[in-house]
Amino acid sequence: MSPSSPRREAGVRGWLRNAFRGPTLVFAGGSLIAGIAVVQLRGTERATAAIVDAAAMSLGVLPQVVLGLMLGAVLQQLVPHETVGRYLGRESGLRGLVVGTLLGCVTPGGPFASFPIVYALFVAGAEAATLVTYLAAWALIGVNRMIVWELPFMGAEFAVFRWLICLPLPLLAGLLARAIVTRTRLKPEAPEAGR
Amino acid sequence: MNLVTILVMGLVTLALGTTLSLRAPERLRPAAEFTLRQLAPLALQLPLAILLASFLSELLPPAAIAGLFGRESGPWGIVLAALVGGALPGGPMASFPIAVFLWQAGAGPAQTVALLAGWSVFALHRVIIFELPIMGWRFSALRLLACAPLPVLAGLAAALLIRLTGVSLSP
Repeated sequence: MSPSSPRREAGVRGWLRNAFRGPTLVFAGGSLIAGIAVVQLRGTERATAAIVDAAAMSLGVLPQVVLGLMLGAVLQQLVPHETVGRYLGRESGLRGLVVGTLLGCVTPGGPFASFPIVYALFVAGAEAATLVTYLAAWALIGVNRMIVWELPFMGAEFAVFRWLICLPLPLLAGLLARAIVTRTRLKPEAPEAGR
Repeated sequence: MNLVTILVMGLVTLALGTTLSLRAPERLRPAAEFTLRQLAPLALQLPLAILLASFLSELLPPAAIAGLFGRESGPWGIVLAALVGGALPGGPMASFPIAVFLWQAGAGPAQTVALLAGWSVFALHRVIIFELPIMGWRFSALRLLACAPLPVLAGLAAALLIRLTGVSLSP
């Protein structure tokens, strides 16, 4: 479905190979080094407390993240990317910015899912400002990310507060992008296809 | 609190899943496969990322965090938080544990808003891995320029709203 999603492999070996990729080693190595530093600088007691804190947070957060992933996966099937592309490519001007905000908000999935649509629209001649708004909305007020990550870690109160604060900002980014394109020499062109 | 969130999310997932199974039953399987594929690395990486953030928060003295990013740090704290957020490496799995530990260590809510907004908008790893190769440097430059003021604006708006409404956000 997406170019960078890991290859599917069957069984426990596939699961293990999938789990032990770069980030796992980075987090494990980093934890080891930081853990040794905590023991040396702050003492064993603080290190134990940090481990207990981390375990408690993991237990609190994981069920919600798993639920969020399921929700995101179902949403992704209900709102296919082709639909997003159809609406986004059709609009321009201020309407384009509003539509870009709305669609960015509901587009589920990570960057590997979003950039190919944006590229396709860009090549097809969509206005750059609309795409800037769409990407900013997806990054700042994407509901999927809020559900999977921000709710479990930061709590509902903070998540909703930040979401409301950021709600008008993608539109502003689109207006700024339009001003930059009309007033400076920075005029984005779609890179050659096939790159 | 946590239980309520889980309950609501569970009900919404169930409702959407039922809708999907009624409207397009053939799409249920891809949804399940997608979840499982993401879950495998996550189950291992997320606890490790949280452990790393927890150790790091022990190494940074809370007084220094409160001084740099605390409620009293004002606009400069917001600017600094936005910059630090923009420089945070990695995806949500690495960034949210860091954000939550900073918040618990005394970072102000407006500064935390700026930090998360900075990370959302700039996310350097995303620019380098996805945006530059797919969209080209001109588009990336345009997007980064157009989005540059947003994290600080978000932080300032948050500070203003907190002062006006007296809403109290605490970890």
